[in-house]
Amino acid sequence: MRKNIFETIFFTEILKGLSITLGHMFTKPVTYKYPFEATPIQDRFRGVQYIKTHADGSTKCVGCYLCQKVCPSECIHIETDCGPNGERLIRKYELDLSRCIYCGYCEEVCPVDAIHMGWEWNLVDNTRDNYVVNMRVLSQNYKDNLEGNWKNKHLKKKLEEGVQQ
Amino acid sequence: MLNVKINGKEVQVAPGSTILDAAKEAGVSIPVLCHDSRLNPFGACRVCLVEQVGMPKLMAACTTPVTDKMEIITESEKLARVRKTAIELLLINHPLDCPVCYKGGECGLQDLTYEVGVTKVRFDASPNDTPVDHTNPFIERDIDRCVLCGRCVRICDEVVNIQAISFLNRGTDTMIGTSFEQPWNCEYCGQCISVCPVGSLNNRVYLFKNRPWNLESEKTICGLCSCGCTVSIDYECNEVFRMNEMPEEGVNHGYMCAKGRFGFDFMNSVKRETEAQITVGGEAKKATVAEAVEYAAEKLKGLKAEEVAVVVSPRITNEEAFLASKLAETIGTKNVFSTETDEIMPEGAYSEVEASDALAVLNINVTESNPILGLAVRVAAREENANCFVFYPSETALKRVATELITGNPDELAVKMEKFCAAMGGADNDFSAMAKTMLEAEKPVVVFDPYNKADAYIAQEIKKACDKVILVPAKSKNNSVGIVDMGFGKNNPADFAKGVEGGTIKAVLCFGENILVRSGWSKLEGALAKLDLLMVTDPFMSDTAKAANVYVPVATFAEKSGSFTNLEGRVQEVSKAVDKGVSADADVIAALGKALGAELPTDVYAVRKLIEKEVKLYSGIQWDGGKVAYPSVFKTEMEKASATAKGSGKFYLYPASLRLHSGSYTRWSPDLAKVYGTPKLELNDADANEMESAEGDTVKIKGDGFAGEFVVEINKQITKGCVSLPEDFASTADIFSLGRYLKAEISK
Repeated sequence: MRKNIFETIFFTEILKGLSITLGHMFTKPVTYKYPFEATPIQDRFRGVQYIKTHADGSTKCVGCYLCQKVCPSECIHIETDCGPNGERLIRKYELDLSRCIYCGYCEEVCPVDAIHMGWEWNLVDNTRDNYVVNMRVLSQNYKDNLEGNWKNKHLKKKLEEGVQQ
Repeated sequence: MLNVKINGKEVQVAPGSTILDAAKEAGVSIPVLCHDSRLNPFGACRVCLVEQVGMPKLMAACTTPVTDKMEIITESEKLARVRKTAIELLLINHPLDCPVCYKGGECGLQDLTYEVGVTKVRFDASPNDTPVDHTNPFIERDIDRCVLCGRCVRICDEVVNIQAISFLNRGTDTMIGTSFEQPWNCEYCGQCISVCPVGSLNNRVYLFKNRPWNLESEKTICGLCSCGCTVSIDYECNEVFRMNEMPEEGVNHGYMCAKGRFGFDFMNSVKRETEAQITVGGEAKKATVAEAVEYAAEKLKGLKAEEVAVVVSPRITNEEAFLASKLAETIGTKNVFSTETDEIMPEGAYSEVEASDALAVLNINVTESNPILGLAVRVAAREENANCFVFYPSETALKRVATELITGNPDELAVKMEKFCAAMGGADNDFSAMAKTMLEAEKPVVVFDPYNKADAYIAQEIKKACDKVILVPAKSKNNSVGIVDMGFGKNNPADFAKGVEGGTIKAVLCFGENILVRSGWSKLEGALAKLDLLMVTDPFMSDTAKAANVYVPVATFAEKSGSFTNLEGRVQEVSKAVDKGVSADADVIAALGKALGAELPTDVYAVRKLIEKEVKLYSGIQWDGGKVAYPSVFKTEMEKASATAKGSGKFYLYPASLRLHSGSYTRWSPDLAKVYGTPKLELNDADANEMESAEGDTVKIKGDGFAGEFVVEINKQITKGCVSLPEDFASTADIFSLGRYLKAEISK
């Protein structure tokens, strides 16, 4: 394209660019001042898992090993046994959050709607041992999600509030 | 031969074979659910329907025999529709609880559902919700999941011949159950579990412990009795989760018994020792294996060669037994002992038993002592033109198939067997007709108990009278035959007892044997305590290990490689599946050898090379399934032994085959011990009524030189006036050390 002399002399292109910059100076910023300010969490964000419980507090998980099998980072470890009345008993359910890649396959594969991806994500800790969580912690996460009882202050949304899970 | 076209591919098959066989020949797979190649065709599930060109009706491939020039189509749109509907109909009543089902991941119905592509059931699903049946200690029964393929019913009838379960009711009410819905009355062989395509019959030992996709498998040989069954050990992370059948594989055709299927759990037992132990002056001290071996070697150096005895258990492999004999050579002693002797060697194979047309089972409860040999006997005995004669003091499970079952108290039975033997030799008595059948048969077989000298004599006489008779000595332990071949059957076990008691033997190296529960050796406790050295290797702290100066924990058969020789004389390879962090017997023997100045190889192949060179019977042997060619069954002429009961008393006491157990090893299995953990005195119901004792009562038994207290088990099959006790328990081994047949008084 040939430039005309008028544009060359009066720097109109630069002014055009500056006008966009100037315009943005008066709009609301899209960035957040993390860590002084919280970033919003989307409904389909995949954070730390929680495991649903029945009304009586017992876990919904049946110990089918499907999440262990499907997990690409092999962070779930399950041990089951036969209970005294011939029922399926979960001896151990461990999830290593430091190995987890939060892909959500476990949520997808669960046949009984037990394990879900939550919104909690801030996991800073002094020791790696705390990253291995068990059924008790995962069930507690569910309760916290329900009650909006967040460790991270910026999380406002409760599980019941309009989330299409 | 018939020419058949399967999907356009021409194959030739023998007359009488089914469409399914022909398809297999042509390399075409037809989906099946109720079919099992080891069972008779049934045709219940209609999944294997195929089309024949020119025929409007569909045919079940598993039941229809082929005719010449038949043209079969196995894949078409119509067939896909029909198969899909068949599965959909099955799924109406089948609960879709795959995530919690025992069978999820290896389920026949699950696989078929995927194969035919059922994603939605068109019909209203109405699964039942019947409570799960836990009356059987080993088998869980969930009848809701049952698809009524009838495989369990057929295997229980056709193979095991117990007929514990059958179809109940008719039409939509049909279910699998026991007669009058009583608790299960069976041998606990678990064959029904192995054929169930869905999770209706489940192994309670493995129940919910793991899922099949997590398990790795290793093909090996079961080490719990002399049958030599090919099994697969399913494990994850050095823990054995189940011992599973391998259909159609091995001498056992994939069948297993209760010991193998439910008794493997001792390998994972927390009671297993992990550290060696040295006991000095009554004080036990933990030590490393190297320290224990060094201590033993030091002690051995201070003794004369002839004061040392080496005892091996029939539990160890051929290679380990050979190394132990090399160790004895290094020490320079000829005192090598085991509970076995080289007087009797194997002859017949399973195939010969199965093909036999006249069988005599002499004084052995073969279905209890050697369950898989028992199945072979049943196969033969079920044939219409075959005869099976069973001699045993009580009625046995062979009663259903036996042409004649000869019972009586041990004295009467001995007389009857002698008469039968005489009739075989030409004498004219009550057994002449029976003897004639045996003599005229094409392939007569005699199964006998090689540990009973009187029976062995009779077997020998029968062989002399009729040369075509094939003898099957039913040895008891997994390598009873192999350790004898490796040189541990030369000496009489009684000499060991004499040597230890007399003080000529001052040190005993015992590899795997539990001396104190063996009849004939059980009274050596005091004498063993006085020895300078008693070194014991055992996976568990056994009765003998407790008395030892030096104890080394060792591996079970799942944790080592080697070979076992089964009761047919067939050498079969054992392969290592898991590692529990303990050394094998071979390592201990080699370490001891090294401390004494001999280099012994521990590598299985190196040892095998040596065996092939030095053991004549094994030169050029095929280690994976080769049968050893023994020159003769009997090494020398058997002497006529007295079989009359010793002592005085009202009752005859005889050793019964161990229920669910083989020696003292399986008793560490928590599941088998739950069902049969302590010795029980079996008593006829009439005798029990006379004594007014009920099942579970404790009674006193007293005879010449022995006394004891046992729990009563009432068994209608026991002959009146007889009682039986299992061998190989510490409390009963003492009794049977006095003799096999005893007389006793029983009081409450």
